[in-house]
Amino acid sequence: MRHYEIVFLVHPDQSEQVPAMIERYRSIIDAGKGTVHRLEDWGRRQLAYPIQKVHKAHYVLMNIECDSEVLAEIESAFRFNDAVIRNMVMRREDAVSEPSPLAKSKEEEEEAAARAAARAERAAAEAEEEVEEDAETDDEVEDESEVAEAKE
Amino acid sequence: MSRFNRRRKFCRFTAEGVNEIDYKDLATLKQFVTETGKIVPSRITGTKSQYQRQLAAAIKRARFIALLPYTDSH
Repeated sequence: MRHYEIVFLVHPDQSEQVPAMIERYRSIIDAGKGTVHRLEDWGRRQLAYPIQKVHKAHYVLMNIECDSEVLAEIESAFRFNDAVIRNMVMRREDAVSEPSPLAKSKEEEEEAAARAAARAERAAAEAEEEVEEDAETDDEVEDESEVAEAKE
Repeated sequence: MSRFNRRRKFCRFTAEGVNEIDYKDLATLKQFVTETGKIVPSRITGTKSQYQRQLAAAIKRARFIALLPYTDSH
């Protein structure tokens, strides 16, 4: 069993197929008694340069431990799947499971958005206290914060 | 005269004790490519040769999966 790191780019039009594809690769790995140590979905990202005339792609990162037969199967699956516009497989020395910088930056963005929402909420509450408005507007503000949470 | 004004170069990776340069760490990689997308030579940045080799490999990987551009004229 060896450790591999796989990154593959999916055509943005086939973005909704990504969970099914991940599931398929996971079942291939499970069938070969391998393990998935890290699985990250970076979502749709802007490409640094167009590939096959598309400017965005859905990135998925996988760190797996498997046999060469399993890897060959996954590589041929990439080759015969038109939705995969590019893939890269690297051998690693050991299992990597901590989140990658790209996944982290995404989380930080979400946290920043959450903080901004909380700040806006607090500011609204403070403004309310100053004005001393009635209970009706209080409810409205709460509704807004719920909407903000739903968006996240 | 400029010789006296120039700041001493140092290797960022040695200073931070980096184990391995990650091709996914775009914030770091972007500091070592020019606006045109070229890898900045170690004689300019002061990166130690071991890290410069790792850096070059990491940048080339990032380019292949379109995280970094090869040039500015894509």
